[in-house]
Amino acid sequence: MLDASAADDLAWSTASHLAAEVASGRLSALQVIEATLARIRKRDLLLNSFTAVTEQRARDRARALDRARASGRGSGPLTGVPFAVKNLFDVAGLPTLAGSKINRDNERAQRDAALIERLELAGAVLVGALNMGEYAYDFTGENIHDGPSRNPHDLKRMTGGSSGGSGSAVAGGLVPLALGSDTNGSIRVPSSCCGIFGLKPTYGRLSRARSFAFVASLDHVGLMARTVEDLALAYDAMQGFDPDDPVCVNRITQPVGPLLKRGATGLRIAVAGGYFKPRSAEALQAIDRVAVALGVSRDVGIPQAERARSAAFLITASEGASLHLDRLRSRAKDYDPAVRDRLIAGAMAPASLVVKAHKFRRWYREEMLKLFADVDVILALATPCVAPLIGQQTFMFGDQELPVRANLGIYTQPISFIGLPVVAVPIPLSPLPIAVQIIAAPWREDIALRVAYTLEADGIAAAPRPTI
Amino acid sequence: MKRKPVRTSKSRRRKGTGKSRPKGHERIAPKRPDSVDTIVEASAQALGIPLNPAWREGIAFNLRLILRHAKLVDEFPLPDHIEPAPVFYA
Repeated sequence: MLDASAADDLAWSTASHLAAEVASGRLSALQVIEATLARIRKRDLLLNSFTAVTEQRARDRARALDRARASGRGSGPLTGVPFAVKNLFDVAGLPTLAGSKINRDNERAQRDAALIERLELAGAVLVGALNMGEYAYDFTGENIHDGPSRNPHDLKRMTGGSSGGSGSAVAGGLVPLALGSDTNGSIRVPSSCCGIFGLKPTYGRLSRARSFAFVASLDHVGLMARTVEDLALAYDAMQGFDPDDPVCVNRITQPVGPLLKRGATGLRIAVAGGYFKPRSAEALQAIDRVAVALGVSRDVGIPQAERARSAAFLITASEGASLHLDRLRSRAKDYDPAVRDRLIAGAMAPASLVVKAHKFRRWYREEMLKLFADVDVILALATPCVAPLIGQQTFMFGDQELPVRANLGIYTQPISFIGLPVVAVPIPLSPLPIAVQIIAAPWREDIALRVAYTLEADGIAAAPRPTI
Repeated sequence: MKRKPVRTSKSRRRKGTGKSRPKGHERIAPKRPDSVDTIVEASAQALGIPLNPAWREGIAFNLRLILRHAKLVDEFPLPDHIEPAPVFYA
């Protein structure tokens, strides 16, 4: 057992550092996991990021890893690294809540989600399931059933959503890695609000098998961490075709870890203009810092970005409603009222216009691919403002007052709409961070991660350590 | 038998409102249902979703928002050959 101060030092250790310590024998996997569990017990009283802590499973797994190491059996690149998952991923033995009250009545999952299996195959250790916005229809990180996950940089503020518990747990030093999902911005928004790195890979890159869907046409899964190296390490462990996800594309695995140090030299980078123009002082400061650091002086217009957001909004409303139709008929009163009203309204969206939104998606994709013939990377803010207060209903967007719940993802929706890979990089402004999206062409996660790595190495992007 | 004159609602109103309302305190007329309210009612019935009356306003608010976004999509001229984007492999 580590003493309290040594255990606390581990709180801000990166996944790669912990894996190296365990591989060298300086720490055992069990020591890392015990310190993690102790930290969760203590700090999560404030953060409310976990909905289940899988203590026994984590200890059993850590002991097994230590036994394997002692007997000279090979270990994976994440051996002994604790991680947690948004509670829409199946965890064997737990009901998959997806942030809801209704799913508490479901059978317990028989098998882990595909990405949990892959991370554990690489030696990582699952320590629990994380709070999230109900059924992922959320940008705030608030949850009427479990209470809001809280922002480690200011407990009165939102984490952003819907992967709010993932943002809080990583930013608060509870775990170095967390899985999230992103349909319209649900990894990138909490990464921005909580000041951490988030990776939303290309649509179809990572397997969604055995996770609770929201909008099949737009759902992505991805991860959050405090360094780019950790994102790459875990991402590489999770890549690969999976026939259990009908959207997962059968492509050759492209490990990005070895490519990070190639940096951003030679890449053609532009800042998204027009629709993406910053409208607050902190937003302007963040995008300027990144542009100056990368030597970018060029703007690029994203064609019909506002319409793309509207099309994503419409498809989300309609497909989300379709998924929930039976539950809306039988258990509507058990939903968060804000989610219920949106879902019922979505069921009433005209089908002809939803199909048109899917057609527009094709048109928009073709236009964006033309842009990528001329640039390698596009920079855009991840959120229009820093984390709002919990319960805050509106925020100022220039001179317009907009509802928080529907608009925190105003800059993320037009990007995930066509599945582009994005790394959200946190810019540690004072007093609160905000993230910038590094957007690349489909299947070029390597490029987005290289640019993120450069910004981190230059001290422009960093996950600030909170004082909780 | 002498019949009492039937008092019209108009005359009753006149009697009851002998004084005019102070300015700024006019009674707000209840909102008249519009086409979205009608859609909410009819669609819920068609879809078999039981509606609690207290939810109607929130649902109608969200449907108006969805329709505003849908209008933006609808206004964009698309060529006939554009295929929808969902992934399906036969």
